[in-house]
Amino acid sequence: MPIFEVDNLSLHYLTRFGDKVPAVSGVSFSMEKGEVLGIAGESGCGKSTLVNGCMGLFIPPLNPTSGDVRVAGESIMGRTPKDIRKNVLGRKVAMIPQGAFNSLNPTRKIKDLAADMVASHEQGVNKKEIYNRLRERFDLIGMDTETVLNAYPIQLTAGTRQRCVIGISTLLNPQVVIADEPTSALDVSTQKSVIKMIFDLLEKGIFSSMIFITHELPLLRHVADRIAVMYAGEFAEVGTTQQVIFDSRHPYTKALMGAMLSAEPGQKQKKPTAIEGAPPNLAKPIVGCRFAERCPVARPDCKTTTQVMRMVGGREVRCAYAE
Amino acid sequence: MFKNHPTLRYILTRGGWYFLTFLVAVTINFFLPRLGPSNPVDIILAKAGGVSDNATRQKEESYLKEFGLAEVDKAGNVLRDAKDAPIRTSAWKQFGNYIFMSLKGDLGTSFMSYPKKVTEIIKNAVPWTIALQLPAILLAWIVGNVLGALAAYRRGIFDKVFFPLALGANSIPFFAFGMLLVYVFGIYWHVFPAVGGYDSGLNPSFSLVFFGSVMYHYILPFLSLFIIFTGGQAIGMRSMCIYELGTDYVKYAKWLGISENKVLFYMFRNAMLPQLTGLALSLGVMIGGALITEMIFSYPGIGMAVLSAIQSNDYPLIQGCTLLITVSVLIANFTVDILIGFLDPRVKAGRGVK
Amino acid sequence: MKIFLNLLKSPSFLIGISIFLLTICMAVLLPFFYHIDVRTMGAPMLPPSPRHWLGTNHMGIDMVSLLVRGLRSSLYVGFVAGIIATIVGTLLGVYAGFKGGWQDEVITLLTNIFVVIPQFVVLILISASMKEGRSLTLIAVIIALTSWTWSARAVRAQSSSLKSRDHIALARVNGNGTLSIVLYQILPYLLSYVFMVFIIQTASGIISESCISMIGLGPYDTVSLGTILNDAMRNEALSDGAWWAFVPATVLISLIVFAFYVINTSMEGVFNPRLRK
Repeated sequence: MPIFEVDNLSLHYLTRFGDKVPAVSGVSFSMEKGEVLGIAGESGCGKSTLVNGCMGLFIPPLNPTSGDVRVAGESIMGRTPKDIRKNVLGRKVAMIPQGAFNSLNPTRKIKDLAADMVASHEQGVNKKEIYNRLRERFDLIGMDTETVLNAYPIQLTAGTRQRCVIGISTLLNPQVVIADEPTSALDVSTQKSVIKMIFDLLEKGIFSSMIFITHELPLLRHVADRIAVMYAGEFAEVGTTQQVIFDSRHPYTKALMGAMLSAEPGQKQKKPTAIEGAPPNLAKPIVGCRFAERCPVARPDCKTTTQVMRMVGGREVRCAYAE
Repeated sequence: MFKNHPTLRYILTRGGWYFLTFLVAVTINFFLPRLGPSNPVDIILAKAGGVSDNATRQKEESYLKEFGLAEVDKAGNVLRDAKDAPIRTSAWKQFGNYIFMSLKGDLGTSFMSYPKKVTEIIKNAVPWTIALQLPAILLAWIVGNVLGALAAYRRGIFDKVFFPLALGANSIPFFAFGMLLVYVFGIYWHVFPAVGGYDSGLNPSFSLVFFGSVMYHYILPFLSLFIIFTGGQAIGMRSMCIYELGTDYVKYAKWLGISENKVLFYMFRNAMLPQLTGLALSLGVMIGGALITEMIFSYPGIGMAVLSAIQSNDYPLIQGCTLLITVSVLIANFTVDILIGFLDPRVKAGRGVK
Repeated sequence: MKIFLNLLKSPSFLIGISIFLLTICMAVLLPFFYHIDVRTMGAPMLPPSPRHWLGTNHMGIDMVSLLVRGLRSSLYVGFVAGIIATIVGTLLGVYAGFKGGWQDEVITLLTNIFVVIPQFVVLILISASMKEGRSLTLIAVIIALTSWTWSARAVRAQSSSLKSRDHIALARVNGNGTLSIVLYQILPYLLSYVFMVFIIQTASGIISESCISMIGLGPYDTVSLGTILNDAMRNEALSDGAWWAFVPATVLISLIVFAFYVINTSMEGVFNPRLRK
């Protein structure tokens, strides 16, 4: 049984005037235990909204339109916010946010923040027990436990803070971990050690699967088993890393790969080509392919026919003419 | 020893700095009134230079001697020149005399209530002022911050109604609000007494009747201060809380599934720190406003003392009061400073970092 | 410049500026159809009547005339104090924030000392010794000299954070001197902030003037909104129920200050996008 399933999920924002802006449309994917799914896309393609949806965190004006999200077979849709907070967030699905080192409360010691998290999910655990668990876990991660746990965020380096965030997020051994640009603002060597740490944890079974979101395609290549390319609230192409990066079929994916600067051997001569135009405004109803405006190989009926996912070359592509 | 006690070092550093400010304040307190043309020294000397009856002359001479304004011979008689005007001492000698007297706890003798000592007048007025201002400021700080936090968290109707109200309340100068209250509730509607600290027919005593009268007279001035202070605090707290609610760490706490109460606690705790700093900065203004309110209500505190001192050119009393006010503001600021040092881990961490 | 157009779209700004302009208009236009006379004395403490729209004060002088003159004086003091305090505070603040180092430490130390000493106290001490010489301008100067600390602090914080921006480093690398950097690189960014500071300083200048005048240390020979209140207090207008002697002045002061605060809040909303919700 897949550990995480997203079934035709659509999410919308409710504006002040009562309009529904569809931010995510018909997204489907599933993940097995131990798998890493990468999600790539431009800013504003709906990644963050999708993430909130995957966690069941529907804070107004975000609302679910239709579809289902299941963790280990159990649906997380249609639950009360309290239920979600207590049983889903942190427990089943955990988030490692963007800019993680600003995510730590400056007036709270690391151990206290972690303790708050545990106490919010489990009844009647006393402080001492929690601290022991914390120590065990942080030792496992390989951090200077005593110093770090008793410190305030301001006393730690950026890399250490990032590791703390990872440690705290995975404290309750969630089934799914969503990492949103976990390494963007770090220097290269810290990036490496943080990635290594995340994969160590995955290997040790601390968490069971991961969604890795980034706009850095080269990073995804080393990190993800499968990749989903997102555009204007939809998945454009979903397949294995090898397929998506080296054998892209969707025009958008191809354009993305072409727009990358690559230091790979043999690629130095290739000039990166920018994708002209901008993503469509989702507030207006869209007919036909969302990428048609900017697609270099668009045909006349692309703008009028709704695109559906097809299997092409062993992976899903949302394009009628992809080969 | 200092290296091992960062807390002690912090207190001493802040304390030292406040002491420096105190010295500046005392100097200002002494020299400023003497700058203008109608300064106290000239006035006393001019009065003492003219011929008048023996009693007045003696009174003026005692002032001269007390404040060290004129030269005296060994027998303690005031030295006069050819025109029978007293010979002035230098300003520095006067300053020294002033410091010496103040350290002894003697702030001089009041002009208008001669021979009452300034310290005596102040001693009678201070309890009234403290009883009024301290609870008003403390309660308003607590209530204002809670209301502000609520407004920020709930948003919605409560906020839309509350915020303009609080902003309006904050723009009304202290005295204006006091005057309004006096007029509406004291004169027009006769609900509360308009003036005084207690019924004029009563004598201060430890009786229940007197205490009741005091309380009755207490309400209007207290409300006047409380409402305005609360408004000010609430507005500040609301902005701080709105800011905190949008921070990354609040978002992360929600993602972690931390309970709503805990998140509110984070917001409150983190917003409180700049609020404390703001409190320290506005303490001077608050106390000033409170004193003016006392004047409006003819409340027998330091405010009234200053007012009557100004109206009768009673310089020793003016100076004594201003010194007291300045010292109180300094002490209050120092207390808040120390409090912040203990509460803010950013400051704590800055001190204790290896 | 687009930003100023945005300002005009903000409802709170429009409210604030209308209240302010309304009061100004009253002071400017009223003399055209109401006889302003602050010298003729008559029957004291008269209630409002067709002849005296807001009654008379304790000396029988027409209240409306007093208010119009008083408004002018109070605004004058507020603006002059505001301008001086803003200029002094901004110069010191920019210099300290931008230069950093020991210049910053010295200025900050000075500011900290003067911030704690209550403005109220200093005002009393200076004014008490100047019985005859208290003109509006002098009072404005004294108020400015005791309130510059606020703007110095605020501006210093802003310029300190601006200092680390890239275009400043670029200018420095190009060899521009301190003065030129301050004038051409920093000030344009600070301008909107400094303007907001000015609004607040003026508002507090108006309040300070009314406070100091109310306790009897106001201008010697002119009417201001504060002196009107002082007269009311000294002549027991409160207890006699002569509301016209102090309510209108109070309302005027509160309205103007409120207008300033609203203008400031709306500016904050436009210039600081983070607060926009």
